[in-house]
Amino acid sequence: MVDIDAYRERARAWLDSQAAAFGHAARRGLSVAEDLALGRRWQAAKHDAGYAGISWKKEHGGQGLGPLQKLAFEQEEMKHGFPNTYFAVSLGMPVPIMLRYLPDGWKQERARAALRGDEIWCQLFSEPAAGSDLAGLRTRATRDEATGDWIINGQKLWTTWAQHADYGVIVARTDPTVPKHKGLTYFWVDMKAPGVTVRPVKLAEGSSHVNEVFFDDVRISDAQRLGPVGGGFGVAMETLVIERYSATDPAGFGPPLALLIEQAKTDQVRGRPAIEDGRVRERVARTYAIQNGLAAIHKKSLLALEAGLQPGPEGALHKLVSVRTRQKLSEFAIDLKGVSGLRWDGDGERKDDWVASWISAPTGRIAGGADEMLLNTIAEKILGLPQDHRPDKGVPFNAIAQ
Amino acid sequence: MSLLYDEAQQQIATEAARVLDDAYSGERLKALLEAKGAYDQEFWKTCSEQGWTAVALPEEYGGLGLGLVELGLIAEACGGVACGAPFLGSSHAAAQAILRFAGEATKAEWLPRFAGGEAKGAIGFADAQDMLPVAPSLQLSNGRLNGVKPAVSGGGAADLAVVLASGEHGPVLALVVLDQTNVTRTLVDTFDNSRVTADLAFDGVEAIALSGDGLEAARTILCLQAVVTAHEQVGGAQKMLTAARDYALTRKAFGQPIGAFQSVKHRIAEDYVLVELARANAQHAAVHADHPEFGRYAAAARLSATEAYDTVSRDATQVHGGIGVTWEADMHLHQRRARTLAIEIGNMIFWEDALVDALAEAA
Repeated sequence: MVDIDAYRERARAWLDSQAAAFGHAARRGLSVAEDLALGRRWQAAKHDAGYAGISWKKEHGGQGLGPLQKLAFEQEEMKHGFPNTYFAVSLGMPVPIMLRYLPDGWKQERARAALRGDEIWCQLFSEPAAGSDLAGLRTRATRDEATGDWIINGQKLWTTWAQHADYGVIVARTDPTVPKHKGLTYFWVDMKAPGVTVRPVKLAEGSSHVNEVFFDDVRISDAQRLGPVGGGFGVAMETLVIERYSATDPAGFGPPLALLIEQAKTDQVRGRPAIEDGRVRERVARTYAIQNGLAAIHKKSLLALEAGLQPGPEGALHKLVSVRTRQKLSEFAIDLKGVSGLRWDGDGERKDDWVASWISAPTGRIAGGADEMLLNTIAEKILGLPQDHRPDKGVPFNAIAQ
Repeated sequence: MSLLYDEAQQQIATEAARVLDDAYSGERLKALLEAKGAYDQEFWKTCSEQGWTAVALPEEYGGLGLGLVELGLIAEACGGVACGAPFLGSSHAAAQAILRFAGEATKAEWLPRFAGGEAKGAIGFADAQDMLPVAPSLQLSNGRLNGVKPAVSGGGAADLAVVLASGEHGPVLALVVLDQTNVTRTLVDTFDNSRVTADLAFDGVEAIALSGDGLEAARTILCLQAVVTAHEQVGGAQKMLTAARDYALTRKAFGQPIGAFQSVKHRIAEDYVLVELARANAQHAAVHADHPEFGRYAAAARLSATEAYDTVSRDATQVHGGIGVTWEADMHLHQRRARTLAIEIGNMIFWEDALVDALAEAA
């Protein structure tokens, strides 16, 4: 434990020294292109300082440390609002998974470029008709029997940072005549290849970090396959659990409760400081109890991890509770401002601006596991309650009512 | 101390649950509901035989020298069986008041008796709705108590009470032996009668004033008690969660277990979330008993445990359908206990205020 604390201290000191050049203040007013450029420099700075790929193996360009160091760094990094968002998916899932499956040489070059922020990978899973039900995806990969190549056709959706991506990992249907989970295969693709079209999707919050990606007769070689033909669902699941040791935030990646308390001391309700109002006090107290509980659960899982135990299913609980609590607290904080709460700050960040937090909260409750799926996970995996009725179970994909 | 239970602590928890599950009788508990002033003597005997009364008291006074974590684990097991007496928690609170605020002679006289389970303690701070009255109606002057403490849990059978009174220089905690003339105990009929709740009336009764600011001392004791009670609430909530899950797996309707319907399944999953948050908060507070911010951790434990036990016992009854609302089913034992524990040591409003005061002061 002392070891981790010392690591955290060093990381904190270094991060503090970088805050002026790369943190919140430095990013204010930047265009997306400028912010991305700053982000690439930030990633390179982390790499040079030995804080990129903390838990990756050394032969992959990482630091060869454990998840505890990675988590400690992420928690500290979160505090300054650094432009690391462009690399979270890339380094979190696609690059680690391709490192597991591809032969040596090229993959190390790519990994190093990704760690330095020079290249970005995206993850092409969800589709217009396949979100929570990922195995229902329709993008096809058809074998060209003459060359052994694969021809990809279809559409992906909600692909984070695809507009900046150099490469991506993709799951496609290679056999529609077998049940849905069994007919999928996993590949990597060159996002600059002919036939790949990326169109940003503007979200309700105004930003466009997700995209729709079209594949029109995109030809890839069989060497770009990760895992066996028909084994794509398994590789996809493997991809999704790589990031199980990622930093959580009891505030659900929204503003801290302390910000609301500060505001409630000066804002007024019925001519008195809002913090004296029973409704405000109830909200503050209940939210504190929830967030303190989440923090304790997280600390406990870190200790378990340190003791060499497998982490439990607390991740589902954490995401479910933290984000919806943030959503409700953000609504409340805006409410408290009265008509002043209507103001919109284009540069507002969700970690310190209630409106930015509120408007982007619905995304948080859907992306990476919708609340309803998380409840199913808890009910089925933890409590042993029955799986939902699934009429498509065991039915060949092409016989399922579309 | 760590948030992970060590082997010895896990063993305490397992053993306590085993002993209590073996002795559990819903029929015995239900009989107590209709017998004002009676409590489960078998349970209380178990508490002393097993050494649970000694767990969190120092060795020099006959205790085992363990702390809130261990006592919490035992309280959790007690909560699971809706135990038929309030004394494990209330005696610990009284003993802590003595340990922290009484003179050596008093400690030497009472603490070994608490550790051995020969003495039962009760806490009387509230005046009706006011959990910590600034000017308690009970008066202490010239070492004599005059007035009434209403609805003291355990007051009907305790040997000793720690009460909050108005002293000559403001609120003060006082220690009073209950089994003496001029103390009148009037049993109160409650919806959870094994708590042996009583109004305590004092007419010039000798009492010992404890040291320190009465309100501060009372708050300290309440925080300790809140953490023990939070564990008890978690135990009860966990029991109800398991009951709901088990019933949802067995009971069939429309050709499938009712637990396959999302309206039922998600309700139980939400209950699991409440229990886990409450458990984490309770454990976190117990581990941080000596931390400068213990007060807010205790309040958080108290709030989430109260919400969990109330909600999960309510939901579990709903999941059981008709059978859940019968006298025969034991669900109402937990619904009653959930509400009782929610009130006895301060309601949600009291603890919300305590927490927000602490947070706002620090911010």
